[in-house]
Amino acid sequence: MSADPNAADHALMTALAAQDLSALAVLYDRYGRLAYALAYRILGEAEAAEDVVHDAFISAWRGAATYRHERGNPRGWLLSIVHHRAVDVLRRKTAFRPAPLEAAEHRRADEDTAAQAERNVEHQGVRAALEALPPAQRRTIELAYFGGYTHVELAGIMGVPLGTVKGRMRIGLQKLRRALEGSRA
Amino acid sequence: MTEHVVEDLELYAVGALPPVETQRVAVHLAGCPACRAEAEELAAVVSALPETLDEREPPAALGARILATARADLRRPAASAIPLVARGRTPWRPRLGRAWLPMGALAAAVILLVVIDLDAARELRNAAAERDEYAGVVTRLSEGGRWWYMAGKDDFAGAGGTLIVPRRDGQAFVLFHDLKPLEPQARLTVWLVSADGQRWVRGASVTPNGKETQVVYIEPQVAGFDRCAVTLESGDPPSRRIIMESRISTN
Repeated sequence: MSADPNAADHALMTALAAQDLSALAVLYDRYGRLAYALAYRILGEAEAAEDVVHDAFISAWRGAATYRHERGNPRGWLLSIVHHRAVDVLRRKTAFRPAPLEAAEHRRADEDTAAQAERNVEHQGVRAALEALPPAQRRTIELAYFGGYTHVELAGIMGVPLGTVKGRMRIGLQKLRRALEGSRA
Repeated sequence: MTEHVVEDLELYAVGALPPVETQRVAVHLAGCPACRAEAEELAAVVSALPETLDEREPPAALGARILATARADLRRPAASAIPLVARGRTPWRPRLGRAWLPMGALAAAVILLVVIDLDAARELRNAAAERDEYAGVVTRLSEGGRWWYMAGKDDFAGAGGTLIVPRRDGQAFVLFHDLKPLEPQARLTVWLVSADGQRWVRGASVTPNGKETQVVYIEPQVAGFDRCAVTLESGDPPSRRIIMESRISTN
């Protein structure tokens, strides 16, 4: 087992760029659940989420040669593809999107298997950092990232000026950044 | 270089900018290391957000479906292996000086690494990193739409351009990188090419502006075309030759 998961991921990307199907299978085993969770959270329906995850992994497969490890880890790269495609589908599909905060709270309870709980331990730091934000900042970030709203839409939903949306986003992300740096130091 | 975009980087990182502004920021990032470094920091923060979700078991067949699509890719001949120009009469058909070599940029890099010295190898790695940065920008700009990368060849090796058709309400455009200045009177032309190579339609004329990246908008509708190419028109008497052509298409 590799001591550095990022190093293992980078090796995986090298194999993927060489069109190694087994590398694609490993990548899916490693991040398929998280990718699907993200797509499902954004889209709220299984079939659309499945299509997005399929397209994202195929995009990674076809574009692995363009991946650059200096720019970020493979996990972040893959999830950014999933996010972008899911938001794109969402925006094209409907003008109405439910606020994701309530939906997320609703889903969390019925999935707490032992294995899930173990995996979630490593995610607690990010959750705690996000939940530590003032509600307005957290909601701004979540509505944008998980809800796919633009800053103009956010201003309308939240009833605040555009500058306030920008400010909340900036301060919220900077706080998250410091919290994550602190937890990983 | 365009105006710095630090004010918009947080919104860009979470995907909260509309397409036109996303495009503006992405184009700036392609040529601004300072803003790009900040954007990468923010992207790392944003990429942690999915960790707030509980993992969710995908449908059992999804993994097999992904592998089946990838396997089909391997069976399909690479686009670069298809002769660019089919036989037959066409209104205008570029002449190829030699057979098109089905060799991607990475393969070229591997071969070159064997025969060049270490300094050159370092430069090559830097060039590859820049190219990959560019690819990231393209992915962002395409907004889930279609794109074709055209790799420069011969004396245009190292340059390239991506024809991007954004999925949402965007005009098609080519994002060029590393175009070198041309002789006076010379010009580049972007062509849209049908799958069989029989139909060539002029997309735009290009005069390199000397910057690292350059955006050129395409006037004709891209629908119905499957490939693209760039030709150089120069000399006396005038001659045309293909200096870039697409080999990758995504959707």
